[in-house]
Amino acid sequence: MPLAADLEWKKGSAELLVLSLLEGQPRHGYEIARLIDLRSGGSIRFHAASLYPLLYRLEKRDWIQGRWLEKANQRRRRYYRLTTQGECVLAEKRRQWQEFAGAVARIAGVQHA
Amino acid sequence: MPDWKSEILERLRGSRLSPERESEILDELSSHLQDRYDELCASGLSQSEARRNVVAELDFTDLVSELQTTEVAPHEPVPQGAPRTGHFFSDFLMDLRYAARTLRKSPGFAAVAILTLALGIGANAAVFTVINSLILNPLPVDRISTLVALNTTQRKQAAQLGDLQLLSIPNFRDLRNRTNSFASFAAHSNPTAVTIIDKDEPHRAFMELVTANYFATLGLHPALGRFFLPDEDATPGMAPVAVLGYSAWQNRFGGRADVVGQSIRLNNVPFTIIGVGPKDFKGLYAVFGPDLWVPFTMARQFLSPQQQDALTDRSIPLVTGIARLRDGNSFAQVQAEMKIASASLDNEFPDSNSGQSLVVRHLTEAAYGPERQGVVWVSMLLAAIVGIVLLIACSNVANLLLARAAARRQEIAVRMALGAGRARLVRQLLTESVTVSFFSGILGFLFGYGGCQLLSSLRPAEYAQNLAELRIGPVVFGFTFIVAILTGLIFGIVPALRTSRTSVSEVIKEETRTAGRRRGRFSIANILLGAQVAGSLVLLVIAAIFLHSIQQEYTIDPGYQTKYLAIFMLYPGQAGYDQPRTEQFYKQVRERISSVPGISSLSWASNMPLWGRKETGLLLEGQEQRKKSDAISAVVNTVDLDYFSTLGVSFVAGRDFSQDDRDGSTSVAIINDTMAAQYWPNQNALGRRLQLPQGKNSLQVVGIVKASNYQTLGESPQPCVFIPLRQNFSDGMILYVRSEQDANTILAGVRDEIHRIDPALAIEDIRTGTKIIDQALWWGKIAVNLLSVFGFLAVGLASVGLYGIMAYSVNQRRREIGVRMALGANQETVWFLILRQGMTIVLGGLAAGVTIALLVGRALSRFLYGVKGTDYFSLAGASLTLLLVALIACYLPARSASRVDPLVALRDT
Repeated sequence: MPLAADLEWKKGSAELLVLSLLEGQPRHGYEIARLIDLRSGGSIRFHAASLYPLLYRLEKRDWIQGRWLEKANQRRRRYYRLTTQGECVLAEKRRQWQEFAGAVARIAGVQHA
Repeated sequence: MPDWKSEILERLRGSRLSPERESEILDELSSHLQDRYDELCASGLSQSEARRNVVAELDFTDLVSELQTTEVAPHEPVPQGAPRTGHFFSDFLMDLRYAARTLRKSPGFAAVAILTLALGIGANAAVFTVINSLILNPLPVDRISTLVALNTTQRKQAAQLGDLQLLSIPNFRDLRNRTNSFASFAAHSNPTAVTIIDKDEPHRAFMELVTANYFATLGLHPALGRFFLPDEDATPGMAPVAVLGYSAWQNRFGGRADVVGQSIRLNNVPFTIIGVGPKDFKGLYAVFGPDLWVPFTMARQFLSPQQQDALTDRSIPLVTGIARLRDGNSFAQVQAEMKIASASLDNEFPDSNSGQSLVVRHLTEAAYGPERQGVVWVSMLLAAIVGIVLLIACSNVANLLLARAAARRQEIAVRMALGAGRARLVRQLLTESVTVSFFSGILGFLFGYGGCQLLSSLRPAEYAQNLAELRIGPVVFGFTFIVAILTGLIFGIVPALRTSRTSVSEVIKEETRTAGRRRGRFSIANILLGAQVAGSLVLLVIAAIFLHSIQQEYTIDPGYQTKYLAIFMLYPGQAGYDQPRTEQFYKQVRERISSVPGISSLSWASNMPLWGRKETGLLLEGQEQRKKSDAISAVVNTVDLDYFSTLGVSFVAGRDFSQDDRDGSTSVAIINDTMAAQYWPNQNALGRRLQLPQGKNSLQVVGIVKASNYQTLGESPQPCVFIPLRQNFSDGMILYVRSEQDANTILAGVRDEIHRIDPALAIEDIRTGTKIIDQALWWGKIAVNLLSVFGFLAVGLASVGLYGIMAYSVNQRRREIGVRMALGANQETVWFLILRQGMTIVLGGLAAGVTIALLVGRALSRFLYGVKGTDYFSLAGASLTLLLVALIACYLPARSASRVDPLVALRDT
C-alpha cells in the first residue's frame, strides 16, 4: 500500500512543489497534477479541487502567471509560468525547506537520501 | 462527452466573480476534468466508471473559499474596511471591456444594431439642428433674453398680434427720448432690395437701414473693421458708409481683408465699406437676412418716391425698434411704460398715431415675424416624427437583444450560478446596450451632419446667402450624445430585466435547443413589433396626407395664368434714372420687347405675384368715415396698360386702363370683385370714388376684375385696388411678359434686349410663373419630402425588424418544423404557419396604426389644403405599401422554413 502523504505535509509543501515544477518551463494545471503524481510515485496527489485553489492563490500573489495558449492538435489550455517574484520566492522556499528537512532529519535521526 | 461545466457550476454557486473570470475558470476546470476522464478511460475504466471517479474527486469547498477571498499578498497589511467586491468604476471598466468583446464576437448583430440606431439618431440630430438654429438659438446675439422688439398695431387687434406694423422714424425718436426702461434702444428697417455695383456688373442685394447703435445694442462685434460711430446717424445724407454681412463678404468679395475702405455704389450712390458683421449674424428676421447695413439717415438714397420723407413724416412706417432692458427692469414694467408712451404719442399726434398701440415682444418671439407659428409647428411635428422613428429603431434593437437573450440564457445562468446578483447583471447588460448606442451616436451625428448639408443645399440658390444657416456645433453634438445614451438605456432596459430573470437551475438543466420552444418568451417582442408597424403606418399616412395636400395645392388656380408667364424685376431708379428717363425707359422696353419673337403681350406692375403690398386706411365713398382702429385695408398694385390681359385676369364690369388715363386726366382705379361685394354690396361700384392712404386725389372706379391670389397661394379672396402707372409714377417696376410657348424659352431673349437698352441696369428675380408657384410651395415641398423620407425610414426599419424576428423564430423552430414535416405536413402548410405568425402581428399593428392615424389626421386637418385629415386615399395607400413590405419580410423566412429538410433538422438539433 502506497504511503498516503499526510494532509498537513501536503499543504506545507504544495506551494514549493508547484513552483518547482514551473521552474524553467510553463505547464498547464493537469500537467502539474500528473507530474506530481508521477514523480512522487503516487504518494502525493492533487485533484482539480485542491490544485486550482492553490494555482489561483499563487497567481494572485503574482508568483506565477497564467496565459491561454492553443497548441496544434490540442485543446486550448491555460499555461502557468513563474514570474520573477516567483523565482525569488521559490529560492527562499527551497532554502526554508532544506533547513526544515535538515532539522527534522537531525532530530528524528532520519538519514538524508 | 460529459457536461463538466454544469457539474462545476453547481459546485461553484455562491462565489461572486466577474463574468470574465467565471468563464475562464469554467473553461480551465472542465478542460482539466476532461483530461482526467480521458486518462481514466484509457486506463481501462468504462465511461460511466470514469465519470463517477472524476465527479468523486470534485470537492470545491477550497476553491469557492479561495475565490471569495480578496487575496492580498502576504506580508502586506490588510487595509481596514476594504470592500470585498469590485468598485463601481473598475466594475464599469470591466463591463465595458466585456461589452466590447461580446460585440466583436457577433459583428453582424453589432452592425445591424448600430446602423439601425444611427439612422434614428441621425434623423433626430438633423431635426434638432434645424430646431436649434431656427427656434432655440436663432440669433447669435448677446443675452437675448434681455432684448425686446417694438412694433405698433391697430389697438383693436392688440390682443391677437395679428398685423404688426413698423414704427415711423419720428415716433421711434420720441420713444427713445421719453423712455427709461432701456439700457439701449436701436432700430432697423426690413431688408430692402438695392442695386449694388462693386466692379462693373450691377447686382441686386438686400440692405437694412439701422441706427448707429444697432450692433452695440445687440452686443455684437465686427468680424473685420468697425461698426457705425454714434455721429454717423446724426445728419441725414452725411455718412455714406456700409457694414457688409459676413456671407456677402465671403460670396461677393471673396472674403478679402482689404474690403474695408473699399468703395461700392449702392443705387448709384458711392458708399464706403467700414466693416464686416459677425459670422452667424444675418439680421434679426431670422429666416432672411440682409447683405449689408447702412445708417438710417441715408434713407433718402434707398426709399421709393412715396417714402422720401420717412425721416420726418410720422405716418411713414419704416423700422422695428430693438431695445435692451436696463438691468433690473422687468418685461412687464417695459410693457406698462410703453402703454403710457403710446398714449401720449396718440394725444400729441392724433393724425398719424390715433388707434395705434405699441407692442413689445421678446426678441426670440419676434425673430420670425408672422411665420414663427408655422415654423414652430412644423418643427414640433418633425421632432415628434423623428422621435417615433427613433423609438421604432429602439424597439427593433430591443427585439434583436431579446432574441439574442434567448441564445445567451446559458451564459447568464452561469454567471448567476457563480453569484452575480441581478442588479449587477442588469448593469452589465445595460453597459452593452449603451456601448452599442454610443457608436450609433457617433455614426448618427455624421448622418445628421450629412442630412443638414443636404437640407442646406435645397435652399433656393438666389437667396441661399440671405437665408438662415443650419449650425452644427457643440450643442448639437451634446444633444446627440445624450440622445444616444438615453437610447441605449431605453432599448436595453427591457431585454436586460428580462434576461436577468433567467432561472439558473432551469437553464442548466435544459439544453439550448429547447429555448425556441418557449414561444411565450417572444410576447414582448411581438408587442414591440406590432407597435413598430403601427408607428410606421402613422408616419406613412401623415406623409401621404401631406403629399396629397400639396398635390392639391398645385391645382390651386391663383386667378391668373402661370404657364406662359415670366417676370423681370427692374429698378431704374436705383441706377440713377430720374422720372422722365424712367418713363422713357418703361416705354422703350414695351416697344423693344414686344418685337422679341415668341412674346404675345407684356406690361408693368409694382407687385410681384404672391408678394402683394397691403395698405391700410383707405377711404371709400359711401362708407362711414371710420375710426382709425377699424381702417379699411386692401392690396394696392400699380399697373400699366394690358396688365390684366397679360395675366389672363378677366373683367367683371367696366373697362381696362387706357392711353387716356394719364397725368391731368381724371384719376382712376380698378378694383376687384371681392372689394366691390364687400363695400358696395348690391350696388354698382363703377363710378364710386376711393382714396388711398398716402394718395392725394380721390380715384374713380372704372373697372372691376375677378379676384386672384395676391399674397399667398389659395388665400381667401381679399380686396385689391389697381392704379394706373401713368398717373402714379414708380421708379421700380416688374416687367410681366406673356409668351406664346413655354416661358423658359423667352427668358434669355428678353434679358438680352433689356441689357442692350442699358447695360448698367440690374435685372434680378427673373422667374417663370411656374417657378413662382414652386417657390410659394417650397416650404411645403421640403416638409413633404422630409415626411416621406422619415415615413419610409420607419417602414424600412420596421420591416427589417420583422424580417429579423421571423428569421430568428424560424431558425429556433427548425426542429419543430422538422417534426411537423416528418409527420406529414407539406411545404404549403409550413409556409402558411410561419406567414400566419408574422402577419398576425402585422395586422394587429396595422389596425392600431389606422386608428391612431385617423386621430392624428383629424388633429392635422387644419394644416391641409383640399384634403381631409381622414383621407382614405392616403390611408389605403399607406396601409397597402406597409402590408406589401411586411408580406415580403415574412415571406422570405416562411419560404426558408418550408424548405427545411426534416432529416437534417432532426439530426442537427
